[in-house]
Amino acid sequence: MAMRSGRIGCLVLGGALGILLLAAAAQAMPKCLVCHGKRTLSKTLPSGRVVSLFVDEKLLAESVHAGRVCTDCHSDITAIPHKGEIQRVSCVRCHFKGNPVGAPQKDIYVEYARSVHGVAAAAGNTKAPVCQDCHGTHGIRPPKDPGSLMNKIHIPETCGRCHLAEFSDYRESVHWKAVKEGKKDSAVCTDCHGEHTIRAHTSPESSTYITRVPETCSHCHASVAVVGKYGIKTEQVATYGRSYHGVAIKFGGKTVANCASCHGVHDIRPSDDPQSAVYVENIPKTCGKCHEGANANYAKGRIHLDPTKREAGLVYWVSLFFKWLTISTMVGLVAHIGLDLFRRLRRGKVAHES
Amino acid sequence: MPEAVVGGPDPLRVELEGEIQHAVEAELRDVLDQEQRERVIARLRAELAEEIQVRIARVKAELAAELLAREAPAPVRREFERFSWNFRAQHWILLTSCLTLIVTGLPLKFHEARISQLFFDLVGGVQVSTLIHRIGAVGLIAVGAYHLFYLAAFREGRRNFLKLLPQPQDVRDLFQMFRYFLGRSEERPRFGRFSYVEKFDYWAVYWGMVVMIGSGLILWFLETTLQYLPKFAADIAREAHSDEGLLATLAIIIWHFYNVHLNPEHFPMNRTFLTGKISEAEMRAHHPLEYEEILAARGLSIQAPAGAGHGEGPVRSPGPPTS
Repeated sequence: MAMRSGRIGCLVLGGALGILLLAAAAQAMPKCLVCHGKRTLSKTLPSGRVVSLFVDEKLLAESVHAGRVCTDCHSDITAIPHKGEIQRVSCVRCHFKGNPVGAPQKDIYVEYARSVHGVAAAAGNTKAPVCQDCHGTHGIRPPKDPGSLMNKIHIPETCGRCHLAEFSDYRESVHWKAVKEGKKDSAVCTDCHGEHTIRAHTSPESSTYITRVPETCSHCHASVAVVGKYGIKTEQVATYGRSYHGVAIKFGGKTVANCASCHGVHDIRPSDDPQSAVYVENIPKTCGKCHEGANANYAKGRIHLDPTKREAGLVYWVSLFFKWLTISTMVGLVAHIGLDLFRRLRRGKVAHES
Repeated sequence: MPEAVVGGPDPLRVELEGEIQHAVEAELRDVLDQEQRERVIARLRAELAEEIQVRIARVKAELAAELLAREAPAPVRREFERFSWNFRAQHWILLTSCLTLIVTGLPLKFHEARISQLFFDLVGGVQVSTLIHRIGAVGLIAVGAYHLFYLAAFREGRRNFLKLLPQPQDVRDLFQMFRYFLGRSEERPRFGRFSYVEKFDYWAVYWGMVVMIGSGLILWFLETTLQYLPKFAADIAREAHSDEGLLATLAIIIWHFYNVHLNPEHFPMNRTFLTGKISEAEMRAHHPLEYEEILAARGLSIQAPAGAGHGEGPVRSPGPPTS
């Protein structure tokens, strides 16, 4: 009984405190801006770096968090001037499944915590990105907003702030070219690597793990609805899947080529681009990464081959020949067996009757 | 006397004594003269002695037959050697290689089937199955090479090869077989050492070996072959390897297994590939020409062996013979 009354007491107290805080919050915005509205407000870190503490009211007002007040996020600030060390804002206070405040009902924070970024951050790597590093701070906008850091056109840049080399490779790719042209179906970083679920490509859980690359590419490249409308062939994934590379990788082969082995990773170019790894003159070199001594013979013949299609040339005819050889042979043999059985049964019947 | 020979079958003795008594009493009922009486007794003695001798002989013969049956079991059945150890050894290597190649090859062809995933999980991945496939390939190549040597170097090999060569008679046999199948004729074609079915099997393996080993080597040593051949040659090799592999598998599992083992006559297994032996009855049913040839060579008459086929009922509907 004592415990229950204690709990009730806590609830009552908590409720009262909540109401008080809400009342204070209504007042918080203008109060904070007394100082943080000044463009010159800054602080010098022990490292000597000067950090601006200016907050543009307009940014927040135009963001998805318009209507929130400073202390909704900066919840550790309870007094002016601020006491103690000010903590980084923790987004998970609102961003969890089942939250009552109207944030998206997603468990993305849990996903993030398991990602390569979240694991590194939790391990104390100060360079590992937390939410704010990608999403921004006061000016967070919905991804569809062209001004959002998470907008398709801005994602490469956002990621590229840390992943410089990959960014500069990517900017050469056909994917980026298409995105720039406004083709929103084209891939940016997150389309291949995932968003909150990003893993190191060496992790079997990663969408860019060696054996999972074909599946990842297939999301767009096997879909008529995505790449088909740009006149890009959609059977390339299937023909790869039928090739020895594709079959072996499906059953755990880790030394065979996946899409990226030949087409490149971040700097994928169309095959008619002389700089492309799959440009006909570059094929010996590309195949030579794995096949020692690869020469021009490697380029004599189709790579993505469908023996059932006439365009496969000789291979098509060989395939057709064997198809009919098999059918006619087996029909003949099975007929012979059937007649043999028929005759035996008939003979058995006659013998039985006589 | 009777006791000594019969060795104590009491019922017989009692029966005989009873008969003597009965005969004597019947004869003596109305003859009273002493001299007559003695003559009658002597006559009866002689008659009965004869009768006893006959019965003893019969019992003796029965016992002897029984003992003989117990000691020497079945009447000797004649068998013929169809496949020498040399031939069977080749067949064993071919068999194990082919099964290995089929088991590790088909999951690659039918990679979309669930069972293929199961297979690769079981053996530990595609690298392991590839290795096993190549071990099987070594066996197949070895037996293929040895077979060519066998054909050239052994008299048996040369003789078998000549008998395996297709002849116009094979076509006639095929037509006769169809007439028989359809009930137009009651006579099966009379085959020699190898029927057209067996010849087909042999040459199908020949063709299969050439295609599979040829294309397999191109794929095995891909980097070497691509030094001299364009990629589409390797693509053709792969297509041929995959397709001919399936055809060979179907031919073995459906055709060869049915004709040798699964047909009603031999189901579930024909032991000739193990023992190399074929019974005289089967020899007469399936290889009559060869049978006659052998008997003629041994200077025996064709009708001679009473034991052959004896007790097996009518000669059963003979299917295509062993191969």
